[in-house]
Amino acid sequence: MDVHHAFRRRMVLRGVSLELGTGMVAGVVGENGAGKTTLLRILSGELRADHGVVHHRGRIGYCPQDVVLNNSLTVRQHLAFFKVAFALADLRRAEEIMETLSLSQYLDERAGVLSGGTRQKLNLTLALMHDPQVLLLDEPYQGFDWDTYQRFWDLASHLRDAGRSVLVVSHLAHDAERLDEVWQLSQGVLRPRTALPS
Amino acid sequence: MRLHLRWFTTATRYALVEHGHNRLAMVLIALYVPAWVTLAHLSVSPAPVRFRLWETGQLLVHRGNDLTQISGALNAVCLITGFMMFAATFASGTFDRRLAMAGYSRTYLALAKLASLAIAAAGVASYATAAIRATTTLQQPLLVAAALFCAAMTYGALGVTLASLLDREVEGMFAIAMISVVDIVLQNPVISSNSGNSIVLYLPAFGAVQAASAGAFSTTAPLHCLGVQFLWFTAAALMALFAFHRRTRNALPPTAVADVPTS
Repeated sequence: MDVHHAFRRRMVLRGVSLELGTGMVAGVVGENGAGKTTLLRILSGELRADHGVVHHRGRIGYCPQDVVLNNSLTVRQHLAFFKVAFALADLRRAEEIMETLSLSQYLDERAGVLSGGTRQKLNLTLALMHDPQVLLLDEPYQGFDWDTYQRFWDLASHLRDAGRSVLVVSHLAHDAERLDEVWQLSQGVLRPRTALPS
Repeated sequence: MRLHLRWFTTATRYALVEHGHNRLAMVLIALYVPAWVTLAHLSVSPAPVRFRLWETGQLLVHRGNDLTQISGALNAVCLITGFMMFAATFASGTFDRRLAMAGYSRTYLALAKLASLAIAAAGVASYATAAIRATTTLQQPLLVAAALFCAAMTYGALGVTLASLLDREVEGMFAIAMISVVDIVLQNPVISSNSGNSIVLYLPAFGAVQAASAGAFSTTAPLHCLGVQFLWFTAAALMALFAFHRRTRNALPPTAVADVPTS
């Protein structure tokens, strides 16, 4: 609520407030450099806002825009590492997501040798594998082929149906039709957007 | 308790996997360490050189090439462990943060780095001691290995700190190399016959140089010097922990999350 943030003298967010309801897939759109990633970093706890507060209902799943992996570890080792981090009993959820995203075949490959799209699949899997209540996804389909892109949106629909709150940052206007609610971030201010240019 | 053990063993295992994939470091250990100490033995003059043992006041007189081997081995282990820890910490900076934000204990992530550093430092120090023994008889090889280990631990912790403070990989490499060169070269008795006095007392590897030289060529055991080196390691490790803690903190206050499942 009322989030402000500046990088040195450059004001990026000027009092942003938003409420993400349960069982919805919402989006934040805006031009490059509008502050979308900064907003998500603040919502996820990665960055401290200069002013304002953030409230969450439950566990957060955050998929950062820049893929955050360890190039020395295999996909399997990533899953094992995050299984401990999330204190999960098993990897069933991760296996389902990997099947959906066609990632299972790379289990024993090191992250450093994966293609950009495959790395992004792993990046997304790590954000979803603990079945969080709130999902903050920063351009989560970068590098995906068309089929995987479609499957990502199917996955987002299932999450909505399961009562999860999903916030997707995008600069693609044509994603808007898949979203229940769209906010436009411009000049540091977030406004509801009802009609998008085709 | 089991959870704590799992945090520690998992993070340590993967920290070691990461070190194992640092091929340059592995090559440097395999080739650079024995090449350095062998070349020092062959190319430096064997003329007697004086070296003051600070703790006992004893003036050690020994062949210059043998004393330079000790300096060379210290330089090599400091550079390699500093580089290994810098590279690993720099590369996994955002990944560590992601793990911490996912719920991984930051204490155990840091302890795992320390454990992986200790294992790497023990391996490199033992190997370097064996490389010296191939050409030179050491009076107290265990003390030499302990001194090399303490120096490696200190530079490993410095590597972690630098990786948290600097923005580019090349900056860290230069910083470690320059600190190490000033530190070790100023204490080399061939260059500075007065080493053991004045400014060298405050150099990061002073304790290790003293302990390793005494262990190599005398029967005295300057445990105080090892203690000084341990203090340097402790200070470097505290700086590293502080930097790691700052870098991996979650900006959301605990009260921001109202409904966190406990399982």
